[in-house]
Amino acid sequence: MQDIIRTEHLVYEYAVRNDEDVVESINRAVDDVSLSIREGDFVAILGRNGSGKSTFAKQLNALLYPTGGTVWLCGKDTSDEENLWTVRSSAGMVFQNPDNQIVASIVEDDVGFGPENLGVPTEEIWRRVENALNAIGMAAYAETSPLRLSGGQKQRVAIAGILAMKPKCLILDEPTAMLDPEGRREVLKAVHELNEAAGITVLLITHYMEETVDADRIVVMQAGRVRMDGTPRGIFSRTDEIHAMGLALPPATELADRLRAAGLALPQGILSEEELVRELIRIRPEKSGLEQEAVGAEAPKTPAGAPSGSVLTLSHVSYEYEPGTPMAATGLDGVSLTIRQGEFLGIIGRTGSGKSTLIQHLNGLLKPSRGTVSWNGEDIFGEKYDRRALRGKVGLVFQYPEHQLFEETVIKDVSFGPRNQGLSEEEIRERARLAMEAVGLSEDYDERSPFDLSGGEKRRAALAGVLAMQPEILVLDEPTAGLDPAGRYRLLETLMKLKDGGIGIVFVSHSMEDIAETADRIVVMHGGRVEMEGAPREIFRRGEELDKIGLAIPAVTRIARHLAAEGCPADPDVLSMDEAVRSILAGWKSE
Amino acid sequence: MFRDLTLGQYYPVDSPIHRLDPRTKLLLTLIHIIALFSARDFWAFAVSAGFLAVCIGLSKVPVGYMARGLKPILFLLGISVFFNIFWTKGEVLWEIWDIAITKEGLIQAVWMAARLVLLIFGTSLLTYTTSPTELTAGLEQGLHFLNRIKIPVHEIAMMMTIALRFLPILTQETNKIMMAQMARGADFETGGLIRRAKAMVPILVPLFVSAFRRANDLAMAMEARCYHGGSGRTRMKPLKYRRADWIALAVAALYLAAVFII
Repeated sequence: MQDIIRTEHLVYEYAVRNDEDVVESINRAVDDVSLSIREGDFVAILGRNGSGKSTFAKQLNALLYPTGGTVWLCGKDTSDEENLWTVRSSAGMVFQNPDNQIVASIVEDDVGFGPENLGVPTEEIWRRVENALNAIGMAAYAETSPLRLSGGQKQRVAIAGILAMKPKCLILDEPTAMLDPEGRREVLKAVHELNEAAGITVLLITHYMEETVDADRIVVMQAGRVRMDGTPRGIFSRTDEIHAMGLALPPATELADRLRAAGLALPQGILSEEELVRELIRIRPEKSGLEQEAVGAEAPKTPAGAPSGSVLTLSHVSYEYEPGTPMAATGLDGVSLTIRQGEFLGIIGRTGSGKSTLIQHLNGLLKPSRGTVSWNGEDIFGEKYDRRALRGKVGLVFQYPEHQLFEETVIKDVSFGPRNQGLSEEEIRERARLAMEAVGLSEDYDERSPFDLSGGEKRRAALAGVLAMQPEILVLDEPTAGLDPAGRYRLLETLMKLKDGGIGIVFVSHSMEDIAETADRIVVMHGGRVEMEGAPREIFRRGEELDKIGLAIPAVTRIARHLAAEGCPADPDVLSMDEAVRSILAGWKSE
Repeated sequence: MFRDLTLGQYYPVDSPIHRLDPRTKLLLTLIHIIALFSARDFWAFAVSAGFLAVCIGLSKVPVGYMARGLKPILFLLGISVFFNIFWTKGEVLWEIWDIAITKEGLIQAVWMAARLVLLIFGTSLLTYTTSPTELTAGLEQGLHFLNRIKIPVHEIAMMMTIALRFLPILTQETNKIMMAQMARGADFETGGLIRRAKAMVPILVPLFVSAFRRANDLAMAMEARCYHGGSGRTRMKPLKYRRADWIALAVAALYLAAVFII
């Protein structure tokens, strides 16, 4: 098969300018990349944030022109202006933010936008729109407004918009970074189908390893260069290099790798959970009659919270959006919950399950339609209750908190909260500094503009802005969304440290993995109600119920479950990678 | 929260008026406005009201629903009636102290009120029966001739399309940023004018940053989909005049003629 994309010594440089618009330095985002991609392949491009993978992709369809080197798309030089529209229509591109790439207010109009630009005759546009919507399973939504679609659906509409231009190649720039697990599955499934059924070449840019498992080929980028290039099996065998680059392996691969390092005879490059389970069963110990002692039971996490700490109580809280209008919708339905200072509470649920509505009640941003919220026994909607003071005690970090940064310098921004609390300049400064220290931002960051920070740094600065109010309970809505594995790990670590310092943490997520290792207690939300509540182990034992409401138990727990169900000596209650390793090693090396 | 936020006041039902070409409806509205401002006596207003009544009847938009839309302008209506009654010279009907109510003033006031009410019903019927998307398409294709005098009709229409798409998103975002700053102890309710204006900074800065980021993203996405202005573009939904449109326009012409003749 012929090469659909070929680059030779590709370089992209951009100038970093200071305040006076003088060029301070030249940054090399893409550095000497020579790559050929075969027609019909599914190629994943992996790399951390800032590794140059997005810049590389934008050069492929002439959104950016190379500083040096050449790109040929279907044999055409992309820097030749004559080829511009052919290049862009044969290599369509889907971007990260689902909202920012839909132009029209009706789905079918948006899908027709590309063909309209290309001057395709009317009837042909309709045919293409219909085919494109069918191909990604969105035909039923042709006349809907994008405002009514979920993130995954919007991303599929964006893909349809590209398909309608009849591309040979589909470039997806982190299309799943802003989606929930369900949306992510939807989009990936659609992309794989297009690749298989229509033979469209796919370039998937991502920092999620799991998404690359089924690719034909993986290219790993770091600092603008191609560091690895090969099949998934080949790449995933080079575990040390992947770790060194700050990327995370899929859970099954990671577990296999650690077990192999501890002496189990597992083959290299295990990709899926099924594969790992199969291999483990193959080498299972002969005598497995002995029931294994549950690893998790060794050190049960005590539901923490010193009796002296503050308590936030919700009793029978219901909330209705736009009551009395045709748009009325139930946000919460009789939620009762107690949150203590010093505990780590995980709140999990799908998009629309009421988690975000719930947390806006915790500091009185929303007033319950029915029921009460009380802080240390006092109703926060009682007469003359000072809710602004409460917001200093119950800190709330919204999703993508970096979007609320506004000051000229980081330290000023972090000081915003304490300043609103009416503290003295000295105290404000001290609290801001302490908060920045807690999230790992040194004094060097004080005078920098928050808008010049990297994504992960911005997130931490925004977190510091809430911490600076010295809350007793810190509530976070999807704090790891959009972060790469290293950024995510760092944030979880910070939260654990804060908890050890005596703060109560409420962690809202739709990812079980995030919560499994950190939470003392889990609340599962569904349809505006508390569906389950309990210790992580208790919750995960109810895997089937979770499955029914569209949530999945962590991968390591699932693997251990499978093994136990096959009669292997593995503890089905493991929560973390560490526990899984310990449990399996104990079972497999018992003789 | 704002999932159902719609701009304008489109009333989504299927009716002969809804099905008319947006260009026809724009033209009808224009004719209606001209007729209203040339109407001078009872019969002219009666014709105008009759025409509007038929349109509203055909449109299936409940009159009560439309009347509610009048509320915000009742004040304006009151003022114009007031001034017309008391400040028009002519044959005095009543006189209390120095203030005189004249016959001419009274008549003027009634006509003014009738004119305003008919005007508002007429123009809002356009927005009730035409979705913002159709309206934009109607303006673009109806005003295409303005291109000749260098008015960038396509670009303006594209701006409207994008505004329609992103205003609800930005409204949502404003709400979110406001909540986030409130969570950091911001206070938007107390204090004088200057203090309140200052309190808006933590909302406006992030909002602008976000709007620019979105604009940037969108521009990139549009370029990736081969957008290069209006030239050489085809349409997925080209507007076509149907029989109903010609009938409507003929009726409107008669309406205008009637008002002028009377």
